[in-house]
Amino acid sequence: MSSRSSSKLGRSIALHLVLTPLALIWLFPLWMMAVFSTMPDRGIFSPSIELLPHGNFLDNVNNLQRDTNFIGAIGISVSVAVTYTFLSVLLTSMAGWALARYQFVGKGVVVAIILGTITLPYAVVLIPQFIMVARDFKLANTWVALIVPPLFNSLGVLFMRQSFSMMPTDLFDAARVEGVKEWRIFLFVALPLARPMLAALAIILFLSSWNNYLWPLLINSKPGAMTAPVALGTLIGLTKVSWGGIMAGAVMLTVPMLVVFVLLQRHFVAGIAAGAIK
Amino acid sequence: MRYQNATAYRFLAPYLLIFSIFWLWPIISSFLISFQATRTVPWRFAPTFNWGRLIGDPAFFNALKNTLLILVIQVPVMITLAIVMAVLLNSPLLKARGLFRFAFFAPVVVGEVAYSAVFRLMFNLDYGIINKLLNSVGLPRIDWFSNVTPAMGVIMIAVTWRWAGYNAIILLAGLQSIPQDVYEAATLDRVSKFKQFFYITLPLLKPIIVFCAVLSIIGTMQLFTEPFLITERGGPGGGTETLGLLLYRQGFRSLNFGYASAIAYTMAGLAIAISLVQLWLTRDPK
Amino acid sequence: MAAVRLKNVVKRFGGFQIIHGANIEVDDGEFVVFVGPSGCGKSTLLRMIAGLEDISGGEIAIGGKVVNDVEPADRGIAMVFQSYALYPHMSVEQNLSFGLRMNGNPKADTERRVNRAAEILRIAELMKRRPRQLSGGQRQRVAIGRAIVREPQVFLFDEPLSNLDAELRVQMRVEISRLHKELGVTMIYVTHDQTEAMTLADRIVVLNAGNIEQIGAPLDLYDDPANRFVAGFVGSPKMNFMAAKVVGNDGGAVTVELANHCGAKLRKPLSGAPPAVGSEVVLGVRPEHFFEAGEGDCDIAIKADVAEHLGSVSYVYASAGASAGASAGPNPGQEELIIEREASRQRANGDHMVVSIKAGRSLLFDKSGARIR
Repeated sequence: MSSRSSSKLGRSIALHLVLTPLALIWLFPLWMMAVFSTMPDRGIFSPSIELLPHGNFLDNVNNLQRDTNFIGAIGISVSVAVTYTFLSVLLTSMAGWALARYQFVGKGVVVAIILGTITLPYAVVLIPQFIMVARDFKLANTWVALIVPPLFNSLGVLFMRQSFSMMPTDLFDAARVEGVKEWRIFLFVALPLARPMLAALAIILFLSSWNNYLWPLLINSKPGAMTAPVALGTLIGLTKVSWGGIMAGAVMLTVPMLVVFVLLQRHFVAGIAAGAIK
Repeated sequence: MRYQNATAYRFLAPYLLIFSIFWLWPIISSFLISFQATRTVPWRFAPTFNWGRLIGDPAFFNALKNTLLILVIQVPVMITLAIVMAVLLNSPLLKARGLFRFAFFAPVVVGEVAYSAVFRLMFNLDYGIINKLLNSVGLPRIDWFSNVTPAMGVIMIAVTWRWAGYNAIILLAGLQSIPQDVYEAATLDRVSKFKQFFYITLPLLKPIIVFCAVLSIIGTMQLFTEPFLITERGGPGGGTETLGLLLYRQGFRSLNFGYASAIAYTMAGLAIAISLVQLWLTRDPK
Repeated sequence: MAAVRLKNVVKRFGGFQIIHGANIEVDDGEFVVFVGPSGCGKSTLLRMIAGLEDISGGEIAIGGKVVNDVEPADRGIAMVFQSYALYPHMSVEQNLSFGLRMNGNPKADTERRVNRAAEILRIAELMKRRPRQLSGGQRQRVAIGRAIVREPQVFLFDEPLSNLDAELRVQMRVEISRLHKELGVTMIYVTHDQTEAMTLADRIVVLNAGNIEQIGAPLDLYDDPANRFVAGFVGSPKMNFMAAKVVGNDGGAVTVELANHCGAKLRKPLSGAPPAVGSEVVLGVRPEHFFEAGEGDCDIAIKADVAEHLGSVSYVYASAGASAGASAGPNPGQEELIIEREASRQRANGDHMVVSIKAGRSLLFDKSGARIR
């Protein structure tokens, strides 16, 4: 073996020696979440070290359902996330299209305002949003309150603006010369071409809605109107509560997203790399 | 291009409407509210009422101190880890790349509530797996949640676990956009891999590292769920209370909107300052 | 079918004026080519005719009707883009019919038009394919087909062949010529390639920096360019320009001395007002208009630096001032000449040779580049 390839082997071994323990540490909390969700409460709170799954998952789900209507909350979460994702993709891609493809009076101002306020912390708008939605519009504990206010998110606009402006102008001009109306160009030429970007955006938006905690906690705190994370959060810190149940809930919140992540990793990574979340 | 005002605004209108109502107006409104006494009906204009209280409030300074402490320790550690992850994941020598990517990136999809619950359980005094493991190797168990220092430690560990992979994704994309021929040229110039990292990779990656740092700082600054759920409303005794938590307590427990808005604008001020630092760090060299 | 008329057309982007008042008359059924270096405004002008760019001043009329404020689709034009601009997510057939379908054209008529276009361009067997499954030439045909389907009064081509390789370009050039004869409609074609312009056009519009330098039939531009820019742009390889000085005037003709050629003198008859004695001028000679020593009106000695043998002809890249010693001109700067010779293998690098210039095969320009006739 040449010294060249043996030094390569050495580096390869070193690489895996560093990465493997780090990866195991990183997987550990997820693994423990899965393990806890299959253990009875007395197993979780026993002095022995348990690192392998048991068979109590369904019992834990029942315990959770006894503590709070988690299945109902999941239903709300799914409906809200789906509706929010659809609306947000539609609104932000329309706005992104306009900013990418038209010259119009006030364009510079609109872009400047979006870019200028994008790093402001969400905390700044929390109180006025709450006062407006709860007191002025009287929409607390409704789906509208969960879906509409978070639609302001401007990262999607910037992401779609970028996507559309990377497409060749000729394509849209060709349609324009053929007399195709602008909204049809958007619908039948631009959107189909943006499919990978739309997928990335949709995944990120769905995830952000699915995991959203603070806003739903504030605005939909009534039992029966809570989203799944909020419902689960109410149990954490209570004394007479099934921790196996809480873990089962955590698994039900997490595993579907992990599956989506594994199946659509490419879109996920593309969406995050473009800075479309947080 | 031709001017097409009507068409453009038809596409923009729905978004701009939402954006104005739920983002632009609240930004202004929040600023105005911070100058009002809001615990009396009707609210009255009292410019020093909240801001005056803020500068003399030990709870505010405690929260500010905790937030900054977390920032100063957690963000550099996490960014360093993320760089290590990204660089190693980018190595052509890596086997089972998909598995490693999954391990580091998976936390990105885990919700705050779910992982807060797991961390709380893992760090439990008597029955937490961490203390059991410490015990099993002969170390004393730690009372994580009764003392400020370990409690802060748990928060930082949790946040780092959740967000390091997220930053690694962004950094990895940045790494992959560095043209390969730069490294080939350096190799021909007999520059070692180690030196290539410090003299080529890091400088070229700097804008993205700064971007990640700013994103993380602004995110960590608003830290709420972790101290709310893991350390039980900022416990022990306010030892892990952050600005985000203080804002929640003042705004939505005490319903003191004016004071909470002043806290929010303090956070905004910090965020703006940090963004300016970012602009300065990534400015074009003259 | 329609004529296209541009009257004082001006284009401004922000504070910059990039088209400075263009006047062009394109006759019904004519094939006109806009040619010029990149950035000269030729594509902008075409896009203004198409309605994709606003007109900042002046007016454009198609078929006698001013179209300044008419939507692109209502101007009776069709356009073929440089990038083909085929919709990647649609089949060839869907690409061809998209515009008609979107505008509610009757189905039977759409079908008839699509079939006709497919027939004219011989792409019937490609109808079910996606653009990415087509070769460059096939994509180009589909792009042209999409224009034909509209049955326009005017075809606009924006550098349609620049993405094709050399061989295909020649083939498509012939194809477009054939199409023009077959359809007999007005065509306006933009290119930076003077060969394309020369071979395709009934008339050429030469543009430079937003100005029209000359409009004329291809060979008129070649034989009788209005100025130095047109002279240099039309013809390949480029015309040679030699610094010269007027040293004599005998009424009806001037004598110029070639500054970089040891005082070689040429007597050039003129029809117009002659330049003043002593003024500096430029003499232009095409590579193909150098003759054997003694055959012309003025012999110059040169040194061959490099020779390119293309088989049918050879090009010699030569520098001036071969014979040393003699009185160097006022500007003994390097002046490279390209000289076309009969095909040969003999002329090795560094050879000295003598070539001859004919007064009737050379052009005179003043310092500003205007032609002195």
